[in-house]
Amino acid sequence: MAPRKSERIMNLAICLLMARRYVSKAEIRSIIADYRDMNDATFERTFGRDKDELRRLGVPVLMGSNDEYFTEDVGYRIPRKDFELPPIEFDAAELAVLGLASQVWDEATQADQAKSALAKLRAAGVDPDPGRLASLAPRIGVKEAAFAPIWQAITARIPVSFAYRGKRREYQPWALTYRRGAWYTYGMDTSVGEPRIYRLIRIESEVVFAGEPDSFTPEPVDTRTLIAQLEPAGPDSQAVLAIRLGRAGTLARGGTPAQAAVPPGFAAYAVEYSSAGDFAAEVCSFGPDVIVLEPPELRAQVVSHLRRFAGGADDDK
Amino acid sequence: MTTSNQVSRLLALVPYLQRVGDADLTETANYFGVTKKQLVADLNVLWFCGLPGGLPDDLIEVDFDAVDEGVIRLGNADFLSRPMRFTPDEAMSLIVALESIGEVADPASSQAVYSALAKLGQAQGAFASAAVAAQAGSADLRERLLTAIEAKVVVRLRYAGAQESTPEVEPARIVTSDGYGYLQAWSRERNAWRVYRLDRILDVTATPEPAPERKPPEPFGPDWLERRAGVVEVEIEVAESAAWIAEYYPVREARKTPAGRAVRLLVADPAWFSALLLRLGDQVLAVDPDEALAPAKALAVEALAHYA
Repeated sequence: MAPRKSERIMNLAICLLMARRYVSKAEIRSIIADYRDMNDATFERTFGRDKDELRRLGVPVLMGSNDEYFTEDVGYRIPRKDFELPPIEFDAAELAVLGLASQVWDEATQADQAKSALAKLRAAGVDPDPGRLASLAPRIGVKEAAFAPIWQAITARIPVSFAYRGKRREYQPWALTYRRGAWYTYGMDTSVGEPRIYRLIRIESEVVFAGEPDSFTPEPVDTRTLIAQLEPAGPDSQAVLAIRLGRAGTLARGGTPAQAAVPPGFAAYAVEYSSAGDFAAEVCSFGPDVIVLEPPELRAQVVSHLRRFAGGADDDK
Repeated sequence: MTTSNQVSRLLALVPYLQRVGDADLTETANYFGVTKKQLVADLNVLWFCGLPGGLPDDLIEVDFDAVDEGVIRLGNADFLSRPMRFTPDEAMSLIVALESIGEVADPASSQAVYSALAKLGQAQGAFASAAVAAQAGSADLRERLLTAIEAKVVVRLRYAGAQESTPEVEPARIVTSDGYGYLQAWSRERNAWRVYRLDRILDVTATPEPAPERKPPEPFGPDWLERRAGVVEVEIEVAESAAWIAEYYPVREARKTPAGRAVRLLVADPAWFSALLLRLGDQVLAVDPDEALAPAKALAVEALAHYA
């Protein structure tokens, strides 16, 4: 009887929201028709579940006593200021981005949650409208099995345990980031006592809940800084490359024209790169369209990379 | 439809309907992400909800004659005039969605994302932590593309594909997939819808020529490659050190082998596949079909000739 249950929980919510003081269980039972018709044991069980259900929805159901001396006389209430979304107003540009927000998630659970958040905003008098942004269609998806449990662990603050790079990690996830198609989580790795960032696709085991909800308080996370940490190391070296005209545009665009002797149909560019990354492999991906002129180490790396790859061709013959 | 979803929805529906007055049934169902049938079922629940006491005057009033005509009129519910705060799940889903928009929008809209997030954070108190970064080219070029889409004009791109080109296209949408931004546009040369990676668009020049009305392109999604003509499937076995390719490219299947990983990929552009093989170098252990390896090896030999 789902409609009947919804009706009972709604009436419970309204009753506790309207109360100016804590309402005792006996009063609640006398007020709500459904509870009146139940025997004592069923009422206790049902009321307990209904109250938990409201809390799960985020409704602040407080328990307390109206009398500071006789604290055994407990009751319940929902303080309106903690329940209601405070007044909020947006300008036209903000309404446009909010107007797109319901279409972004490919994952059904999060799509429903975003939609539900927007419905609350509409109920608060906000009218999202994509306007000229209607031609934008950003989509966000999930392919990692660890995503659903990590998400739940973040929002409910549940510690988790999983295997990563061959080690068992005890972890309190604080934040999520999505960078270029990959999900990462940031939080406290209690097995090493330090904050750590983990890439969800590299989690090697099932993610197991290892505690109760609200077991920890996340530290404030500057997610922008976090994203920046995931960017490859900045350039610390410079190469001079000969790039075939009209080719390897992404490489040429990042560089500046340089003076050097190049074969016909090529132009020289100075390009910055990070020695920590695999710039030689990137250069090799352009095949005969890019030649390394400087520095000699990079030139040697590229030649060796190409020889090891092309060498296989001779072996096959 | 679970009870908790319904209660959560009802708590937003009551203030929404009071604010709107005569609400359209179809539009309301759409905003709340439910069918019209479910919405009518919701109204039937509300009809029994109200102030403690349970007398007829205490209950929420729903005009069911109006509902039959597609209009929702609700009364006697002043006690629920504002929606509830966001749950942590709603907050985080909304933040990620907004951040994704900020990553592909024009500069002013990206700014609006951050100001909207700040306002939400202020209203709600502690807001969940999440951030998004996409590879979507420069904000200035996106602004120019959006303006051209709005003005419905043809643009000329300078595009760094396998070879630099200057295609004339009719821009339609800016989309993202797997964290990369793309322009979906009608290629005048190919006479077909095509996608262009935003970070490879070097320049955008709007022409005065109006773009003709066209049936909009199919939505762009993770399976777009499969729907494209001329796509071939190849299997590539790589050393464990190159297992990352299964995380970076849309793969059909990846499995462990005694020597490393075998990954099945869809290849639309042979030049792209050769570039991947050249990048991986001797981490490539085998390619099936075998002939898919030959062009890359020929390119490696040609490249080595430069260093001879």
